[in-house]
Amino acid sequence: MKIFLILIITIFTFNLNANEFDFNLKAVKIAKDTYMFEGKEEYFSIQNGGDISNTYFIIAKDSILVIDSGSSYYYGLQMIKEIRKISNKKIKYLINTHHHPDHFLGNQAFKNSIILANKYTKEYIEKNGNEYIVALINITQYALSNTKAVAPTKVLKDSYIDLINHKLKILNLSGHTKKDTVIYDENTKTLFVSDLVFNNRAAATPHANIKEWIKTLVKLKKIPYKVLASGHGKISYTKEPINQMISYLLYLDKRLKDSALKGLSIFEILVLKKPKEFLGISMINEEFERSIINLYPKYEDKIK
Amino acid sequence: MSKNIFFKILLVFVCFLSFSYAQKDPLSSPMWNDVIKMFLKNEAYVIDKNIIIKVPSFADNALQVPIYVDASYYKKAQRLLIFADLNAIIPLLDMKLSGLLPVISLNMKIAQGTPLRAAIKDKNGLWHISSAEIKSFGGGCSVSSEASLLEISQDLFGKYKIKTFNINNRKRIKLSIYHPMDTGLFVGNPEFFINKVTIKADDKIKAQIRTYASVSENPRLIFEDKDSESIYEIILEDTDGNIFKISTKDQK
Repeated sequence: MKIFLILIITIFTFNLNANEFDFNLKAVKIAKDTYMFEGKEEYFSIQNGGDISNTYFIIAKDSILVIDSGSSYYYGLQMIKEIRKISNKKIKYLINTHHHPDHFLGNQAFKNSIILANKYTKEYIEKNGNEYIVALINITQYALSNTKAVAPTKVLKDSYIDLINHKLKILNLSGHTKKDTVIYDENTKTLFVSDLVFNNRAAATPHANIKEWIKTLVKLKKIPYKVLASGHGKISYTKEPINQMISYLLYLDKRLKDSALKGLSIFEILVLKKPKEFLGISMINEEFERSIINLYPKYEDKIK
Repeated sequence: MSKNIFFKILLVFVCFLSFSYAQKDPLSSPMWNDVIKMFLKNEAYVIDKNIIIKVPSFADNALQVPIYVDASYYKKAQRLLIFADLNAIIPLLDMKLSGLLPVISLNMKIAQGTPLRAAIKDKNGLWHISSAEIKSFGGGCSVSSEASLLEISQDLFGKYKIKTFNINNRKRIKLSIYHPMDTGLFVGNPEFFINKVTIKADDKIKAQIRTYASVSENPRLIFEDKDSESIYEIILEDTDGNIFKISTKDQK
């Protein structure tokens, strides 16, 4: 009887180990020495295991720098596995662009790297990092198993990271969250804009400040980039994604303000027709609803 | 053998009878019979589609789930009940109407995905029930209020904003007030919530509402009236005996 029980337990344990979620990551080259793992344009689910955002890496002369670590420990591990197929150089740095869970929960896999983030993001993850796991475990389930929130180890200031053949300018801006880090590779002219730009994918706004965000986008447009690498959506080589973001945020702001003045309820806003230009954006209905629910109270409080 | 089949047919028939006898829940909630007994006692009811009930397509933030109920199809209705079968705190509100429309919008907190029910007692005393499913991963009821976590409640507590609007030929009153609305389900934070709301116009009571801790922290309420009274007074009372008297004279 006892042996039988042990056998069952062993089988179960083996099964659990075999259950590591396969993210099926494939590195795509987007510029010289620069690669992307493209996330799905979806919300967190059991099926996608939380693989909903883009992550990047740059293979410089003697070291590798990674931008964002995905939404789980296993995602981070599988990133490293894929990077190793291309290069064996030391992964010296990992940057977390902001404090949302699909951008830092893979940190645990980068034990031998320096994990950088702006001061606000670092402190936010230190304080609230594990709360995201509690919230996400119901949604992505086993893809998140064994994941612990690992906070960045060093503060990233507005400065340069010099990787010899890749000089990276760091800009800590605000809008999508209180502080979002943008990285500009001056050698390849690649602009890593984090979630400040959602390329043809509706913006997520749970911690957004719309006014600040628009100001930031106007600033970003002036950078003479050639490749635009955003946190969600496809790679772009034009200014179009930034223009679309600006007009969507302006629309959101105006819709919220007008509705508050008229005294509308949340559901009355949700049934209003959206402008044609936004109808082709992926996830527009679900993200618009989330944004209205999150942001409307602030607009209601402001009206005189 | 043939006897066996006969019994089976009889059994199916009996099952069918017992099903059609009680009104079936369109959402097939396991709590249906219990909540119906709990709230409607043994009074007659029908399932109805004339009550407008709106919930988000997915409730991300279980602490602030907006809901909207409009049962104004029923003229001179007596009472509006709203409850959520699978919530940690099942009742949301019980509104006795004496002039105000059976319309309400507010945010609620939920512990998990749940059916939401609105039941209206019409002028003849018959209950009409409408339902909507709130989809969520939950977590809202056993969490301490943000105010008690941040200890900001002292400054803001009781602060309010009231404003009236004319919308669709109705008078709409929007009211928000800072209150922790603690459920008492979080260890260390005793129950502390607004449990009574009275709406008056010219000293005439237009509605009396019993509210529960399932209403979100810092409640945001919308009421509607068919008549357009000049001044409304709203009196809120909480479980600690605090009374907040708010008049639409002080619109801000």
